[in-house]
Order: sequence, then structure tokens, then C-alpha cells
Amino acid sequence: MSIPVLLTISVGPRAVALRDAVTVAEAAEAAGVAAIRIADGTAAGRALDPTVVAAYLAGVHGGVGYVAELPTTHNAPYNAARRVLSLDRATGGRAGVALLAGDGDEVSEATAPDPGAAGPARRWAEYARVLTRLWESFPRTALVGDQDGGVVVDDTLIAPIDHEGVFYRVAGPLDGPSSVQGRPVVVADLDALDAAAVAESADVVVVDAAAAPGADAALAEALQRAGRVRRDVALLGRVAVAPGDPPGAAPLLAWAAEHRLDGLELVPGGGTGPALAVLRNLVPQLVDAGAPRPATLRAALGLRESVAVAS
Amino acid sequence: MPRQLHINVNILNAGVFGGSWRFPGTDATAAYTIEHYTSIARKAERAKLDAVFLADGPALDPSVRHRPGNSLEPTTVLARIAAQTEHIGLIGTLSSSYNDPVELARRLGDLDYVSGGRFGWNVVTTAGPIAARNFGRPGEPEHALRYRRAAVFTEQVVAAWAQRTDLVSPQVRPVVVQAGGSSAGRRLASRVGEVIFSADQDLGHARAFRAEIRAGAARFGRRPEEIVVLPGLSTVVGATEAEARARRELLDEILPDAYARGRLAGQLGISLDGLRDDDPIPAELLVDPDEAGGSQSFYRVVKAIIDAERPTLGQLLKKLSGGGGHRIVTGTPEQIADDIERWFHAGAADGFNVMPDVLPSGFDDFADHVIPELQRRGLFRTEYDGTTLRGHLGLGLPPVPSGRHLEVVPS
Repeated sequence: MSIPVLLTISVGPRAVALRDAVTVAEAAEAAGVAAIRIADGTAAGRALDPTVVAAYLAGVHGGVGYVAELPTTHNAPYNAARRVLSLDRATGGRAGVALLAGDGDEVSEATAPDPGAAGPARRWAEYARVLTRLWESFPRTALVGDQDGGVVVDDTLIAPIDHEGVFYRVAGPLDGPSSVQGRPVVVADLDALDAAAVAESADVVVVDAAAAPGADAALAEALQRAGRVRRDVALLGRVAVAPGDPPGAAPLLAWAAEHRLDGLELVPGGGTGPALAVLRNLVPQLVDAGAPRPATLRAALGLRESVAVAS
Repeated sequence: MPRQLHINVNILNAGVFGGSWRFPGTDATAAYTIEHYTSIARKAERAKLDAVFLADGPALDPSVRHRPGNSLEPTTVLARIAAQTEHIGLIGTLSSSYNDPVELARRLGDLDYVSGGRFGWNVVTTAGPIAARNFGRPGEPEHALRYRRAAVFTEQVVAAWAQRTDLVSPQVRPVVVQAGGSSAGRRLASRVGEVIFSADQDLGHARAFRAEIRAGAARFGRRPEEIVVLPGLSTVVGATEAEARARRELLDEILPDAYARGRLAGQLGISLDGLRDDDPIPAELLVDPDEAGGSQSFYRVVKAIIDAERPTLGQLLKKLSGGGGHRIVTGTPEQIADDIERWFHAGAADGFNVMPDVLPSGFDDFADHVIPELQRRGLFRTEYDGTTLRGHLGLGLPPVPSGRHLEVVPS
């Protein structure tokens, strides 16, 4: 059998050096990993900016997906939406964002609609809603390029989002069209967030070993309340892989089956060597590298190849 | 070695002319693809240019119906170009009004590291209400306030770079680029700008501008030779003079009229509704440049043309050709090289931010024919002799600007 796998690395001198990250990306591409998740820092300190690293690596090895971690802290949502959609368009629909729950940014704080609003989970839900709506504000079908008629973009298909929440006020629309996969994949970690907070906007939900029991049912219920169904979301189990002590594939697959996990996020500790070891030894037992490469990151995660962008 | 030119290409989506995307043989929507930018950057590297330059603003340009806009975020594009090139500098425009300085300092410093010391930050304050509304504001902050923030913001970002102890690039810090032509913009340029983009139609005026920036920098304790002034230069290249002129005329013909009028009205801040092509521009409605909101640089340039030439609306639209106020040179590679050489030797420019009429074809012609002519004349490098943007520009590492200049600004 073959299940979707994310491989998580931090890139920087204290984790996987940039040059080595190119090697890891090449190995991940060859192994059929769905995406490399670029973490925003490590226990040992800060790492390189994940959106920059993802854009760089995708420019060398474009056959694998890239998920950049991006915190709400210090990032205005309009800027984050542009950056992540730019990455998604540049990769031909193979990108996503792991939106990290946190605080606000200096620009948005100054004009927050409700200055007293608080709570990372509540902020995350509003932030993710702004991202997904911005990503749909300029459908790619609006790009008509009618040279004779003098119309390059049919702007009647583009609409502002006029978002007015408690943390953010964002008019939109975005400046660029939606991607091949509709919009970038949104990844949510269920440690800082609960199922209700992520149900409206997440495409991928990640749980660790402690949170795995019962996660499938809780997610299904939260999704239903949000008007979505369980198969709209990929539920991944996070596995920290200690250097020199990789878990066997069979127990991992049994664990995934027991908790109805759709895939795995492998987080190798110890830098480049252990990351490459996971790709060479463990991943081939989880992923069929010979299978045809899915067209988009959504497809690679077992989701629909593209989400419809309203026009 | 005698002083040599510094040349960047501004990859302004489909090209600087409003009708560029309709030019025969052009893919109308190529500017919405990443390959458009990476392939032009690779071509620019083969031509040994100093850098590629990306203009940007966090907003959808309202004229997008009639000409392509910028649609890809610069740090994302430049990181990809960094992966696919080795030498060329990478200059991106990022707003001081609509970014968090902590995040921006980190991301730009990391892009500099990832690119091996090739990044330059073009600081802009971002004019206009459309961008403002994407960040919770009803309208743009007042001009003077935008520039006060820009000064503090830039110093904060540069200070954060200077404090780095790891993830330091071979050029140590990104190059600071500044483009504002207003009084406040020129002051900011003198204080922190290392590369200055300007918009000038007139050689004498450009020479005075360059002298003013250099003198201003000296008053801030900086060395004038460590400032590189690059006026924008729109180019229309032809194998013969007649061919170049025909290309220019065709570009005027295919310029979508609604776009040209809308853009000019926006730049002047007045309505052009009801005005016919042979009517004069109502100059009495135009305010003094220092009073204008929005982008003062282009207002200043267009108002100077109106004051000097008293054109009809049709004449002005043709002169600007949707290019927005940068000087346009039309001619053979030799003629364009003559023009570049004249400005360079007159002290009006250290080089140019080249804005080809049509992308990629206009840049291909520039790189294949104008650059070799400049190289034959000894005016432009034939090989890179460094690997960093600072190296290409001949810039050392300036002292970290200090906030004590913020309150007391020498006049």
C-alpha cells in the first residue's frame, strides 16, 4: 500500500544546511514524498525563513510539494496570502502553508476592528478564512488575454472580499490568479488548535501520537458542523523519528489504520543524515515511488486534484 | 579601470508600454507565469547585468483589465531566480508602510543569505488607497507620515541585519535601494539609499538631482561615491532607425486608450472625463508637486512636461505611451548606446534601470545588441568580477545609519 507522507525539516546551519536541503529535496522527490514541510525554526534556534527556502528549493527540485510554515505573528494576512499563492503558482500547484497559531502583526494591530479580541485559535480561524477567500478572489479563468479586444483580464470575475472580523479588516482582491490546484493547501496542527477552529479552512490536519485517538471522529463531527465532509481533509499522524532509531513501517501503518489516519508526517531529528536515512530506508516502505506523480499537492495528499474557485 | 555603467533590467510584467502585451508575437498573459521572470533573469545574467529589479505593491492595480499587472510576490520570485542563477543581483520592492519590520528584516536577510549575497531591498512607502484597504486602513497615510515611518522602519531593518551573527551573507547586508523623487524621498535617499532609482526626462535636471543626492549624503557623513544613481530608461530598439520608429508607432497604436487615460488621470489626481484628444490638459487644476498625494515622483515628471510643452491630451498620452513618465529612447543599438554614454559622461547617471518596451522581446534586443555595443565601448563589464550585488555595484559596506539623524535633518 502507499500513503501520503510529509517530510519535515528545518533549514539553516543548526539543522539541515541550505546546500544539504537541496540533496534532501532531490531524495524526497525521488522517494515520492507528497511534500517537504519547511519548519520555522528548531529547538536549537532559528532557521531560514520557510517561504524563502521553499521558493528556492522548488526552483531546483520542482517535482515534490512544499509546505512552508508561517506564523500569524508578524505577518499581515494580505502579505501572507500573496506570498503563499505566488509559491503555489510558481510550483504549478504543489504548495501549501502550515499556518501556525500565534499573535498579530504590527500593521494589522494598529487598525484591528476589535482591539480587545484575543486567543490564538480564534485568530487562526479568522486568518485562515481571510487566506482562503483571498485565494479565491481572482479566479484564473479571469485571465483571458484577448489581444484583439484589448482585454487582458476579465475583471468582472474578480471580487473584493471585504472581510471585517475581530482581528482583521481586509478588502482584497488579491493581485494574482488562483493556482492550478485552486488554492494552496492549508495545514493545521491540532496541538495548538482544536478541531472546531480548523474545520472551516484546513485541508490537512496533523495530530501527534497523544492526540491521534479519537481525532478522526472529532474532526468528522467538526467538519460536518462547518458544512464539509471528512474526505475533504487529510488527517496525518506526526511521527518524530529519533536519529539511529527509526520506527518500522509495519507498526506505523498499523497505527495509521487503527486511528483512521490518512497519512503520516515524518519529522526526523538530527539534521541531514537522519533525514536522508528516513527517505532511503523508511519512506520506500510507505510510498510507492514508481506510481505516477500526482498533478497537484492536493492530489498527492489524496484530496481532490483542485478545489473549485468561485467565479 | 575607468568608471563603468551599472545596468539593471526592470521586469515590469509585460513591458513598460501599456500595449506591450498586445505586441505581435507576444504571449498576452506570460507575465502571470513564473517562467517569464526566471527566463528574463537568466538572459540578464548572460548579458552580465548588475541586477534584475521587481517593482511591487500589495494591491490589485485597477487597470488590470487593459494591461497585465504585477502578480507575483517579489521575495518568492527572487528566491526562485536565486536557485536558477549564480551571479545576477536580485532587487525587490517591499513596502515600509505595510510590512512588520521584524518579519521583513528576517525574511530579506534570509533571502540575502540564500542567494549568496545578491539581494537588494527597494524601500517604498506604497501610495494609494487600494493597498491601504488591504491592511485595514480607509486610505493611504499622509505623505509626510509615510516617509517618517519609512525612515524609522528602514533603520530598524538595517540595524537588525547588522546585529546578525549567523546566516550572514558574503555581502554582509542587503543593498538598500530607494526610489522616491519627492522632497521627503530625496532626503531618505540621501540618508540610507545606496542605489537610487529616479525618473527624469531631462539631462540637466538629472545631473542636478544626482548632485543633490550626493551632496545630501555627504551632509549625513556618507561618501558620495558610494551612491549609485540609476534613472529609469524605457527602450525601443530597432535594427534601423526606421524600424525602431515603426515599433514605437505600433506600440502607440495598440495602447488601450481606456488604460492610458485612466492611468494619467490617476497620476494627475484630476478627472479627464469629457476631455477630447485635441483638448489641452487643464493645467490650472494641477497642484504644486509637494502638495500632491499619491506618487509624487511621477506627478512631478508629468507636470513638468505639461508646464513646458502645454500638450493636448492626445499628445501627452502619446508621449507617455502608458509608460508612466520614465524617459523613452527609440533607436538603433548604436543610437541608444550614444544616449546612455552621453548621460553617463555628463554626470547625470551612474547607469540605468532599463525598462524594455515589451517583455521578453524588447529585452532580448537590448541584451543582444545594446549591451555588446556598450561593451565594445568599454562602458560595461564583459565578465562578472564578483559574486555579490555589492560587488557588482562597487559598493562597500556603509556604517549602520543611526537614529540620531531622525530628528535633526540637515537642510
